[in-house]
Amino acid sequence: MAYEKLLLKNAGRENSHTIDVSLKAGGYEALKKALKGMTPEALLEEVKASGLRGRGGAGFPTGMKWSFLPKTRDKPRYLCVNADESEPGTFKDRLLIERDPHLVLEGIILSSFAIDCHTAFFYIRGEFQKGCRIFEQAVAEAYQKGFLGKNILGSGYDLDVLVYRGAGAYICGEETALLESLEGKRGLPRIKPPFPAIVGLYGCPTIINNVETLANVPFIVERGAAWFAGIGRPKNTGPKLFCLSGHVKKPGVFEAPLGIPFLELLNEHAGGMLHPDRPLKAAVPGGSSMKILPANRCEVLLDFDSLAAAGTMLGSAGGMVMDSGTCMVGALLNLAEFYEHESCGQCTPCREGTGWFTKILHRLETGHGRKEDPDLLIDVARRVEGNTICPFGEAIAWPVQSYVAEFKSEFDDHVTKGACPFGGAAAKR
Amino acid sequence: MPEPTPPAPPAPAAATAAPPPELPATGPDEVALLIDDKPVVVKKGTTVLQAAERLGIVVPHYCYHPGLSVAGNCRMCFVEIEKMPKLQIGCATPATQGMVVRTANTRVKSARESIMEFLLINHPLDCPICDQAGECRLQQYAAAYGRGESRFVEEKIHNDKGVPIGPRVVFDGERCIKCTRCIRFCDEVSKTHELGLFERGGHAIIGTFPGKSLDNNYSGNTVDICPVGALTWKPFRFRARVWFLRNVPSVCIGCARGCNVELGTFDHRIRRITPRNNPEVNGWWMCDLGRQTYEPLDGRPRLEQPAARGAIAAGPPGGAAAPAIPVTAGVTPGEALDRAAALLRETAARHGAASLAAIVSARLTLEDLFMARKALQQAGIGRVVVPPHESGEDDPLLLRRDRTPNARGAEIVGLGRPDAAATARLAADVKAGTVKGLVVVGEDPAGDGLLEAPSLSALEALVVIDAWRTPTAAAAHVALPATGPYEADGVAVNFQGRAQLARRGVPAPGLAEPSWRWLRELGRRFGLAGSWNTASAVFDEAAAAHPPLASLSHRKLGANGHPIVFAEAAPGGGAPAPGTEAREP
Amino acid sequence: MSDAAATLPVSVETDRKIDALLTKYPRRSSALLPALYAVQEEHGWISEEAMDYVAGKIGVSPAFVAGVVSFYTMYHRKPVGKHHIQVCRTLSCMLRGSFQVMARFKEKLGIDVGQVTPDGRFSLQYVECLGACDTAPCAQVNDADVPLLDATKVDEMLARLK
Repeated sequence: MAYEKLLLKNAGRENSHTIDVSLKAGGYEALKKALKGMTPEALLEEVKASGLRGRGGAGFPTGMKWSFLPKTRDKPRYLCVNADESEPGTFKDRLLIERDPHLVLEGIILSSFAIDCHTAFFYIRGEFQKGCRIFEQAVAEAYQKGFLGKNILGSGYDLDVLVYRGAGAYICGEETALLESLEGKRGLPRIKPPFPAIVGLYGCPTIINNVETLANVPFIVERGAAWFAGIGRPKNTGPKLFCLSGHVKKPGVFEAPLGIPFLELLNEHAGGMLHPDRPLKAAVPGGSSMKILPANRCEVLLDFDSLAAAGTMLGSAGGMVMDSGTCMVGALLNLAEFYEHESCGQCTPCREGTGWFTKILHRLETGHGRKEDPDLLIDVARRVEGNTICPFGEAIAWPVQSYVAEFKSEFDDHVTKGACPFGGAAAKR
Repeated sequence: MPEPTPPAPPAPAAATAAPPPELPATGPDEVALLIDDKPVVVKKGTTVLQAAERLGIVVPHYCYHPGLSVAGNCRMCFVEIEKMPKLQIGCATPATQGMVVRTANTRVKSARESIMEFLLINHPLDCPICDQAGECRLQQYAAAYGRGESRFVEEKIHNDKGVPIGPRVVFDGERCIKCTRCIRFCDEVSKTHELGLFERGGHAIIGTFPGKSLDNNYSGNTVDICPVGALTWKPFRFRARVWFLRNVPSVCIGCARGCNVELGTFDHRIRRITPRNNPEVNGWWMCDLGRQTYEPLDGRPRLEQPAARGAIAAGPPGGAAAPAIPVTAGVTPGEALDRAAALLRETAARHGAASLAAIVSARLTLEDLFMARKALQQAGIGRVVVPPHESGEDDPLLLRRDRTPNARGAEIVGLGRPDAAATARLAADVKAGTVKGLVVVGEDPAGDGLLEAPSLSALEALVVIDAWRTPTAAAAHVALPATGPYEADGVAVNFQGRAQLARRGVPAPGLAEPSWRWLRELGRRFGLAGSWNTASAVFDEAAAAHPPLASLSHRKLGANGHPIVFAEAAPGGGAPAPGTEAREP
Repeated sequence: MSDAAATLPVSVETDRKIDALLTKYPRRSSALLPALYAVQEEHGWISEEAMDYVAGKIGVSPAFVAGVVSFYTMYHRKPVGKHHIQVCRTLSCMLRGSFQVMARFKEKLGIDVGQVTPDGRFSLQYVECLGACDTAPCAQVNDADVPLLDATKVDEMLARLK
């Protein structure tokens, strides 16, 4: 299938991150078009009509999110770009930031224009030092060329972009934790409602969008919502960046329309399984927080609704592939430790539950598991799910529930054998 | 007999089988909702938890406190709300018109059980050695909502215990459930910001900046609001089990605010003082100084028996050790009083009525002060001064510069307000020798540096009514033992003009009596008529005599007191105390 | 000015950098995270004294600053090695051998995770997903990304770094 690369079109070029290369490739044409002949309302409607859904993990319709902003203008509006990409298995935003920051920036400017925002914040995780330098350089170039600052392209529209570095906390990828961090505090998620569109940064109406989400906006503006909606599948429109890593030959970011079959992504883009003698055992389709699919359920399409129907979610599209040499108890222990380290500690179920999971799993992996432990894991996960301030509760509960459910016999084996059949590497660090 | 036709119910919002119970009518700023099938009307903005409280429905919670901002982190106050798929926390959910809430169905009970389990897995089994036992929310809720047994077989997370986080507060890091009430108190109420939340996840812990201390005059409130035994009050630590305490509602005597308090007594001694809620006076709080106002009862030397002596002899005023009072063997209260009256009469006869004066304390109750005025009038003593006792400035929260609880009471009964100038003039006159006889009630002019030894010993009549064995009492011709703080019922009028009834918490030692009794008896010896046998009766007499007190009585004052009406507007009267307003949800 | 400068836990340059941050954002409070980075840029770590100083600059309590510093993993509260090696431990890197890579580091340097070599050149830390799973197993050394590590690359790297 001949697929026209959009998001990654410029990324492969030499010096693709510079404004000169970007302009040559058609960068900022959408911005010129919008500022010349579109109202912010019209731009918002176009994004709505395109069916663009958030690329950060929740898949919420972007245009609808923008329309939650109150009509009043007594407080300034803010756009916060969520470049905190920390979901294990996900590295697509990093690629965009490092290789085509101007595409992202153009999307930021267009989106800010649509929502009448005049100060946008680019919240980038602290560990992306290289990406931060590149993006700051891109912002400086944009100011120089008059794409940022006062009276952009003579339109009368002003916009400033401020880059803000995180300092190492996965939870700051959650919208309201991001706002807290941006305000100079511990990244603790807020109680919702009120939602950020009403009470956000500094108490002002705020939209938080993912990097990749915004990178789609220039294309929507340039070629129209109808064209965009023709890519992908109904209600799951547009091009998508898919990450694949783990036991694959060519781990990387692959662009394809939403709805590409997982196995096509695995075998035709990522080169298939890493070791010829170790077939696929399980795959996480969309970042570590999403429920795992055992090999016999991996014939799925990669889009929001198809994966939801399959009992999991597209999430951040950070696909991780595990072959037959993988201990699922060890894999879950690894993730449980991740969530234990990253829990903000604010609310009871997550603060206490994450530690409990790792302790049980550690015993299982080191051969000290008890018969009742797998069921205990499931029950504790049930008690975390739905009871937390933010979706972090689901992010740990779902892996626990799905790994134990899908690989119950493996968990039981750890108990009956009194040891990890795969050698227990995950517990020996 | 057929039922009368009920009025047509309002059209139900959704097509359900049975129409919901009819909601009451509401005003423009109100909403009506159903909680466990019971209707309630509340002001807009009220949370579901608060609305449930109105109905007497308990929604268990840790981190919510009406005097602090909403945190929503403990997750204990889950309720089920129709049309909302997930359970909602009642403390943060505004009640809306027509809301249907369930607080005790299976789903909610299961959630509570889950939260209890999570809270207990890393909690140390310290109950046998923890002060909080008996007033601990973990204990209460574990019994009411918990599983009943533990499934946790892992090693618990360990933290430092017994940390002296402040001069009067001890912190246990393992017991802490990270509700953050203490941090919010220090940020929002005392505004001293000593506490923070450190680390994250399971290792999150509260504490002070290294090297700094939780050292403000309101630190005790963090102990009150800590739902568990993570913060304990050092003076009370290991002193008594709370279920043995006999709790008496009273009023603090430390300053002119008169925070409403609860005296925790055991074995006839006060073991701790904690605040009682009064939105008009102190909200939920009190200061640390107030918490310590009972401590003199534990060791400061007392007058316990009436004492009288023949000749005038000098005692060393202001001595460090308890001054001794030479006692004429076997003097009864009657004999002491007779002697006092006689001395005063003789002095007046020798030098004129104007040679007598009195120093009366604004620390006394209204009953004491009323009787003082009557008795002194009867004895022909017209010159009465009330010494001021001030320290620092009014602080932004509760503590008043005026450290007497009843300055306004002195004013009401006609003794005048504390007056430094008048006090100084009297001291000068005593020194000069123009004042020869003094009645001192509840004051220690020698110990306070107002009068010196030679002046005191030059007096021909010094009658002292006091609780403490002070230098002034040591120099007295007649010393009559009075009750000390919290040892007698009595009313004080605070700086807002609010009359409040303090109840007696512990018995006074020896033959100590409330000052008003001594004054009544002294007055009798000058012809005072009337027999008031209780403080309440004295108050009723005072109320009859002084219009601002009219219509009040001990009974009417109850637990939270009552404002009185002055001729001119009372300063600060009526407005609730700062930091005590219930927070907007 | 030099007397005041002598009592600051940071250089005059860092102090000026922080002053500039105080007016860069719509609210002063936002200056805290970048200010902490400025301190760490100069000293390599953030001392309690520095936290107290930053608290005064921003206008928040020292306890608040300590709470922020201890929340984020990238702020160091004690000195790290000249080359602070952070190996990713999360799933994709684990699947591709990051634990073995760390074992090699530990063996070669003779220190455990969380420690600094006696000569102060190297320290080891596990970090969570660095968002570079296509180059697993990966690490960072200070600011720089180190992709596709194996035993050979570990040895090479350690030999190269002074």
